[in-house]
Amino acid sequence: MTLAFDPTTGLVSPLVHGLFQGSAYGLLGLGLVLLYKSNRIFNFAQGEFAGVAALVAYLFDTGSKGLPKVPYAVAILLGVAAAVLVALLTERLVVRPMFHRPRVVLLVGTVGVALFLIAVEGLVYQDIAALRPIDQALSIDPIFTRLDRVPVLWSDLAKLIMLLALAAAAFLFFRLSRMGTAILAVSQDATAARAVGISVERTSMLAWGLAGLTGGIAGVLLAVPPFSTTPGIFTGTILTTAFAAAVVGGITSLPGAFVGGVLVGLVQEFASADLPLVPGLGSIRGGGELAVAIVLLGILLVRPKGLLGSET
Amino acid sequence: MSLLEVEGLRTGYGLLPVLQGLSFSVEEGTTAVLFGLNGAGKTTTVNAIAGLQPVWGGSITFDGQKISGQPATKIVERGVAISLEGRHVFPKLSVRKNLDLGAWTARKTAKQQLDLVFSYFPRLEERLDQMAGTLSGGEQQMLAIGRALMSKPRLLLIDEGSLGLSPKLAQTVFEVVSRINDDGTTVLLVEQNIGVLPYADQALVMEKGTLTFNGSGKELGESGDLRKTYLG
Ligand SMILES: Nc1ncnc2c1ncn2[C@@H]1O[C@H](COP(=O)(O)OP(=O)(O)O)[C@@H](O)[C@H]1O
Ligand SMILES: [Mg+2]
Repeated sequence: MTLAFDPTTGLVSPLVHGLFQGSAYGLLGLGLVLLYKSNRIFNFAQGEFAGVAALVAYLFDTGSKGLPKVPYAVAILLGVAAAVLVALLTERLVVRPMFHRPRVVLLVGTVGVALFLIAVEGLVYQDIAALRPIDQALSIDPIFTRLDRVPVLWSDLAKLIMLLALAAAAFLFFRLSRMGTAILAVSQDATAARAVGISVERTSMLAWGLAGLTGGIAGVLLAVPPFSTTPGIFTGTILTTAFAAAVVGGITSLPGAFVGGVLVGLVQEFASADLPLVPGLGSIRGGGELAVAIVLLGILLVRPKGLLGSET
Repeated sequence: MSLLEVEGLRTGYGLLPVLQGLSFSVEEGTTAVLFGLNGAGKTTTVNAIAGLQPVWGGSITFDGQKISGQPATKIVERGVAISLEGRHVFPKLSVRKNLDLGAWTARKTAKQQLDLVFSYFPRLEERLDQMAGTLSGGEQQMLAIGRALMSKPRLLLIDEGSLGLSPKLAQTVFEVVSRINDDGTTVLLVEQNIGVLPYADQALVMEKGTLTFNGSGKELGESGDLRKTYLG
């Protein structure tokens, strides 16, 4: 029997693409885990924190809409700062007034924020906006290296490295720092936290600020070609899968956001690649999604708390 | 001037009043015990003192300064700490981290207080790296009191410190509280366990949000009526 393609390349391509696509899920998933750990909130606005950052960075990088054109690095920083600001406003105007309501009310509140942000993004910009990737800004070759003829892009590598760095930093923050421990204390027993003198309002602001930061970083890393930003696209295309990935990793586990994201990315890519291992699956429409669904359900049946379990 | 002065305190939940003008004071260096049946308003009272319950009216003064209306953080900083009813340890944090968090407002004295807490509760030192939620009920109670002590309080409030403990363990807790008091900390206990009476300099009895007795522990012990009605 002869194969229609080189089987080695057949493995490398989905491996590389799965890893990087998974990094995208992981980057958004990290913010979801952060807020779930802190507040037991599912934040549906996380995708649009990324969307806002991408849009603001794009507008400043290109000097559109009457905004001044600024250096690339400054535009990126402004984009991330915008996401942090939006996250802090979300905390102050939506989350805090509903703090003592059932968690499902808060969830709907964050859906409201997502829809509101999509609407505002639409008012500002209706076209497709793709951010210049880092290689273009630095005028270097976009290809970092080739693995068995499959190109590995700088902009993809940046996603993976940043995801690893952020997941590790967030993990250490909760493990070692005083403020991180205080956030965990509030999530475990808010009354006791107040009794020892922790300000529940301040830890909540901090958690949302960090979620905004990771969301913003996700936005400026992901909104590069071939992906492009239109209002709501993060919520529409990445958020749902990021949620699933975060839950599979263990929704209270920061390393789990990484593990879950990459796992989902790999399953998706391997299932939609036309591998001889699973003949024909790649040719089914939605085969990748189907495979992800089956793997996710399987994992959750065996490990209901996700792969990395609780509070790591 | 007393260390703690509660004057015409009014508070409640939602629209429902629980305390409608409660007044009492506690002298520095003493152990006061607040008795009363379930629902009398004891927890509401100590939580209000700790700043965990909004004060509707009246005033709470600590060491000559008004603390009612202040946020809990400020009240802890001033020197009032509470061991909550139901213990409220942070279940998924280690004993060590629970204690560290007790010193949230008092980092400088944390080391010294930690040694003090270990001297009262050697058991906690043995279990430093255990998750607080996996401790026995008695150990969790020790941790709750130890965590409150970590802020180096001048007034320690303990709400139902013996609830659910064996008579022997309850007695142990009372003995440690007595040592804490001997070392200079003023203590206000909420109790339903009459075994605490020998340690009480001052006894208060609450019924439906008002005080029906305020005297020495000895007086309460001798008045058979009160004993029967309120302490069962
Ligand atoms: N969170 C609450 N919401 C509404 N009512 C409450 C709440 N906590 C206590 N109460 C009511 O306040 C009254 C006093 O309760 P509490 O202070 O807990 O009494 P005690 O500590 O003496 O048992 C009771 O009638 C109780 O039902
Ligand atoms: Mg009570």
